[in-house]
Amino acid sequence: MTETTTPGSPSPTKYIWKNPLAAWGTSAGNDEAESIIVPDPSIPWHQNTGFKIKTFPVGRLKYFAIWPAHGSKTWDRTRWWPTRRNLLNIKGLYNRKSAVAEKKIVDRRPIYWVICLIVLALGPMIFPENRMNALLTAGATFGVFAAINVCWTLILGTASIFSLATYAVVGTAAFVTSFLSIQYGVPWYFLMPIGAIVGLIFGVLIAVPALRLDGFYYALLTLGLNELFRVFFTTSKQFGAASGGLYGADSFISQAWDPLTQSVVSYYSAFCILLGSLFLFRFINGKQLGRVLRLAPEKREAFAAACGVDYKRARITIFLATSVALGFIGGFYTAQYRGVAYAIFDFQTVLLGLAMVTIGGIGRAEGAVLGTLVVVFLRDVLIEFGPWRYLIIGGAMLGVVLFLNNGYFGIRKQFNAWRAKKRGEWRSTRAEKGGETLPEEATEIDDKDVIYFRRHDKMQRDYLKTLVTPEIIEEHRGQPLGQHSEALERVLLYFRRAKLEDKYALRSAGPHGPYKIIAFSGVRGVSPRLVDDREFVSLDEAYHGVFMRRVHDLLES
Amino acid sequence: MDIAFILVNAVTVAAIYGLIAVAVSITWSSLGLVNLAYGFVYSFAGYAAWLVATHVARPYIDPSLQPLAVAAAGIIAGAIGGVIVCLIVFIPLHVKPGFTTRGMIATLAISLIGSQVFLMAFGPTAKSLPELFGRWRFKFFGINLTSDKIGIVVCSLVMLAVVVMWMRSSRRGLEIRAMMMNPHAASIVGIGIRRTGIYVMGLTGAMAGLAAVLLSQTYYIAPFSGLTPLIKGVSIALCGGLGSVQGAVIAAILLGLIEALTNKFLGGQYVLMTQFLFIILVLIVRPRGIAGLLDKAREQ
Repeated sequence: MTETTTPGSPSPTKYIWKNPLAAWGTSAGNDEAESIIVPDPSIPWHQNTGFKIKTFPVGRLKYFAIWPAHGSKTWDRTRWWPTRRNLLNIKGLYNRKSAVAEKKIVDRRPIYWVICLIVLALGPMIFPENRMNALLTAGATFGVFAAINVCWTLILGTASIFSLATYAVVGTAAFVTSFLSIQYGVPWYFLMPIGAIVGLIFGVLIAVPALRLDGFYYALLTLGLNELFRVFFTTSKQFGAASGGLYGADSFISQAWDPLTQSVVSYYSAFCILLGSLFLFRFINGKQLGRVLRLAPEKREAFAAACGVDYKRARITIFLATSVALGFIGGFYTAQYRGVAYAIFDFQTVLLGLAMVTIGGIGRAEGAVLGTLVVVFLRDVLIEFGPWRYLIIGGAMLGVVLFLNNGYFGIRKQFNAWRAKKRGEWRSTRAEKGGETLPEEATEIDDKDVIYFRRHDKMQRDYLKTLVTPEIIEEHRGQPLGQHSEALERVLLYFRRAKLEDKYALRSAGPHGPYKIIAFSGVRGVSPRLVDDREFVSLDEAYHGVFMRRVHDLLES
Repeated sequence: MDIAFILVNAVTVAAIYGLIAVAVSITWSSLGLVNLAYGFVYSFAGYAAWLVATHVARPYIDPSLQPLAVAAAGIIAGAIGGVIVCLIVFIPLHVKPGFTTRGMIATLAISLIGSQVFLMAFGPTAKSLPELFGRWRFKFFGINLTSDKIGIVVCSLVMLAVVVMWMRSSRRGLEIRAMMMNPHAASIVGIGIRRTGIYVMGLTGAMAGLAAVLLSQTYYIAPFSGLTPLIKGVSIALCGGLGSVQGAVIAAILLGLIEALTNKFLGGQYVLMTQFLFIILVLIVRPRGIAGLLDKAREQ
């Protein structure tokens, strides 16, 4: 619609605009009007659609495997016998683009657990032949220590009580059972129940202060208890042997067997005790007791009590349960290794145990198992590293504590939080004002037309703002209806196309005025509101009043 | 065994452990850090004093000044060790979530690394420091007091007095006490948390360093020798109430007495048991220790 000049026109800034729609008639009878030069509307279009700034991929990464499934299949779920729990937590959903039924595995941890446990179970078949014995021994150590650490996680994570007496419980049970087995010839299959009883007694001993003390008072006290038991066992006459431990207990591994068979049996028995402790973890952490304890961590006991939770009872229960389990593991330790060394009470053992729990992430069974794997591998397999092994373990522990909020398995959450923070920072540098959609907001709006409408509307308003000049206002004041110049016609077309919500209209007090401006509510049944009290005598004047109001709104937006 | 002899022994050892207890106590109450790396600081200072004693003091320094040089080396090295722990643990961690737990684990990691480094650098054989206080003895109401015992008690008391005076009268001491009362308010009125952390850790490290020098008059310096003083110091601090110097002193005296009485009536191997039973009883009756108040204790 832009012609630079009309032939014969004296001024290059004005031209006669012929309305192409005038064939259908105009109210004032004229089909052309003098018009000022209107800027090319394609200019703001190209300005707005051209990429001026660096863009980044936005939106959500689809990091879940989505499996195709018929809609009805999402309801077909297998259950763990004899519980009513499903094999996997599966969510059925519809693809946003194709509307095809899909299913998503919400919690994939069971799959990883099964894969890892199968790898562990097949370990003796995968290990290289030349290091078979060392790896089997380390594997047995890993199994026992992982079992201990999983039980410890129940206290550290689920009950959030910082107890350092775990190895003291195991050690005491192991020493008592070794002593009984050596002195009175108790067979190996009684050692584990006896160990459990010793653990129960010990559990009562350490549960009583836990009710009164909290936080670091309890941690330091249990550290002291550990030292106390170390001194007691190394100095007492009954347990004090010169060999650095108590050896010669009965075992389920016969010494008559082939050494490799002995190693394999000890590997699989340790694997079984690990499985047992994982089941215990699952049954305490995932059920009522675990939920009660996680509701009542330290300094929130009052809230838990107000919710009707008997947290003292829950704490005593968990202490007794884990102490029984730890005592059982202690008895198993004796039966597996034919005795126990004083080293189990060492401060070093507590430190290594803490490293195992910390590296993986406190409060998760997988964290305890992974940490144990790392530490045992460093300590027992990479023997050629010498003292550097402990430096690496200590360095890993320090690094995890300094840089990670909750160990290896907390990395994902921490990374997501960091990414959300960075995303917010980037977004704030990219945001443009003016009714447009933010890139991140755009991914969340399902109806993409809304986004394109907003974008187009903004461009149009930007363009129309340049057309509003005193000339067109004057033109409208002179002739509100009828054929107008191109600039005024464009502005008016935009105004007429506005949404009904808050659209201006006139209300006449009598058959010939006066008129007042009202605005529609846009909602059926809700009457329009009066915009202001200004009265217009004639209809043309009122039309111009509405026009001015709309121009004002346009320039304000 | 003579009860007086045992009592003197108990007081001597309690004076040394009391130093570490006060150090643990001050660190906890002003910084909120349970520093379990005092064992590392202890060994660090002990080895530094040993290095100075064998390589610097013996060849270059006049024999009469040697004890002073060794003690100074121990104290300075302890302060440096404390500042190292502060730089590694306190400064990066004090703004992060779960600071208290993570700080405790980090200090434990430092003691794990430290003991292995000492083992690699100096080997497992124990080192002994030269005698600092000579070899005279003194009879007091019929009790034999040897020079090292008097020296140990006097030195710890002097160090404790200097620390308490400094905390009471100096500007830095005022800052530390403000941090003890309310760390947030202290940082609002312009007391730098990190700077104060370095002061506190330097000061408490110096106390641990002195304890290392003094205790090595009786025991030896070995890679893992810092553990017993740490456990004893922490137990005394717990029993006295974390954050209270007076409580720590009272607890040190009480535990020393219990040690002496147990030695006399039950036998040496029951010392730790009776002490821990006592501590557990005290903590069950008063969960924040003898001098600690439940409401005023630092919550974080």
